[in-house]
Amino acid sequence: MTAPLAVRELVMAYDGPPVIEGLDLEVPAGSFTVVVGPNGCGKSTLLRALARTLRPRAGEVLLDGEPVARLRGKEVARRVALLPQSPVAPEAITVGDLVARGRFPHQGLLRQWSEADAAAVDSALAATETAELRERLVSSLSGGQRQRVWLAMALAQDTDILLLDEPTTYLDIAHQYEMLTLCSRLHREGRTLVAVLHDLNQAARFATHLVVMREGAVAAQGSPAEIITAELVESVFGLPARIIPDPVTGTPLVVPAV
Amino acid sequence: MTTTHPAPHAASAPAAARTRVLGLGPLALVVRRRPVVVTVTLLALVLVSALVTLSVGQLGIPLSELPGVFAGRGSRAQEWTLFTSRLPRLAVAALAGAAFAVAGSIFQSVTRNPLGSPDVIGLGSGASAGAAAAALVWPGLVPVPVGALLGAGLAILAVFLGTGRGFAAPHRMVVVGIAVGAMALAFTQLALVRVRREEAQEVAVWITGSLGARSWDHASLIAVAFVVLLPCALALTRQLQAAEMGDDLATGIGVRVSRSRTLAVVVAVLLTGAAVSVCGPVAFVALTAPQIARRLTRSSGPGMLAAAACGALLLILADLVAQYAVPGVILPVGVVTAALGGIYLAFLLVREWKQVTA
Repeated sequence: MTAPLAVRELVMAYDGPPVIEGLDLEVPAGSFTVVVGPNGCGKSTLLRALARTLRPRAGEVLLDGEPVARLRGKEVARRVALLPQSPVAPEAITVGDLVARGRFPHQGLLRQWSEADAAAVDSALAATETAELRERLVSSLSGGQRQRVWLAMALAQDTDILLLDEPTTYLDIAHQYEMLTLCSRLHREGRTLVAVLHDLNQAARFATHLVVMREGAVAAQGSPAEIITAELVESVFGLPARIIPDPVTGTPLVVPAV
Repeated sequence: MTTTHPAPHAASAPAAARTRVLGLGPLALVVRRRPVVVTVTLLALVLVSALVTLSVGQLGIPLSELPGVFAGRGSRAQEWTLFTSRLPRLAVAALAGAAFAVAGSIFQSVTRNPLGSPDVIGLGSGASAGAAAAALVWPGLVPVPVGALLGAGLAILAVFLGTGRGFAAPHRMVVVGIAVGAMALAFTQLALVRVRREEAQEVAVWITGSLGARSWDHASLIAVAFVVLLPCALALTRQLQAAEMGDDLATGIGVRVSRSRTLAVVVAVLLTGAAVSVCGPVAFVALTAPQIARRLTRSSGPGMLAAAACGALLLILADLVAQYAVPGVILPVGVVTAALGGIYLAFLLVREWKQVTA
């Protein structure tokens, strides 16, 4: 079975030496894939390649086996949605209007609204529990609410694949878990999720497929229970640690031994 | 047949009752009530101020006599005044004002900055420098309006190269643009001090922006440019709106960001160039009109039509003030808009300052 999303011999670079050089990776179908790794390991750059926000210097990104570079922007956007790290809410926009903007790839210049658009916006608002915020101005929302609204906008795109670039940054711990639980539910409903996360324990708790990166390459990948070991954490993050089962979920819990 | 009906799923149209979906066969346009009301009101005001413009002046043509003169039943003097003098001048004012405003709307969206209008980021100064070069430095090489257009083109090229990242660095565009504008101004001043007084006088009036002695040639040039370029601007509105939320997000929903932005800038430069070549780089209309329109429509994106109506109204009103505010003195319209623009900038500064200290 072809992976819904994959990269082949990927080389990514900003103005300088490559951050990622010759990376091969497949995102398993129906997985909640989480990418972790120390700062500067290339995890965000990998996500930018998947999201087409940074063009690969070499190699390709494959969507259902097809190179994305050959697909039209809207075509890709009907299959892959992105929650970027710091989107900017327009002035004076309501939640409903913002979420409706996620329908852009399904609309044309002359066909700007349809029944399907309305239905997708409704279900995106319902899925993120933001329906009652619909008429509120985005600028009046709290950080946690706002992040859920941005997620709703991505959901309104109605895609099978959802990319999340550090979706918990800037949120307090309760809202971090609220966000991740929500993502987990979206995954169970049948979407393939790829998220970049900072917190190894959150990654271990929510990921079905964990990708650990170091210096632009994959250091380990697989289910969190199989791959998270004291040796891996020590060698990738340079942090001596002990791994114990999470008392709540049974997933691996990294306890720093410093 | 055009049907206006509540959006399908009335509760879930983009912002419920204040929005309608206008359906016509395969067409389904999202129409918001407030921008429509604002635009129609502005257009009505444009009409009123146009009638005033046509009727007042040294040779008054009372409003009641206007239809008669239009129908060819006026006196010779009335007909000459209306058709050769006032109508072309009015058309140039309205269309150039609208063109400046649409260009300003595009630039403010691209730079994500209310100050990022073409006249602030060096386009106006570039056009002036081009005009000065064509008229004074290398006279006869190209006509003055063509020189202005080339100057504006060079200025935007300098901005594009100067940011290091093309148009993808909104903040740098404003800073680099101000620098480009300053250099262009220096060139213009150098050109002005080195030539004979009469020539310098003529160019000085031109670069202030003036609607004096406009002909139908001017009017048709700006009309053609506006009719061709406005639909282009309208077609790019949604892409610009998306790009305002960040390049990553816009890419994520399928917008080809850098392509849309470059196209939009080209449209804005052409609009500015056309407007500048018919009335000079009239200051501040491009800066203020889109902002006033945005405030009035409370919209969350560049509203091209409301901005255009607002720009037309501003320039017509400014021209009325320029002609009749000081009895016996006809000011260049650019002086009036610059003064109005100064007041607007002060307002903007006070507001920013309040926000910072609040």
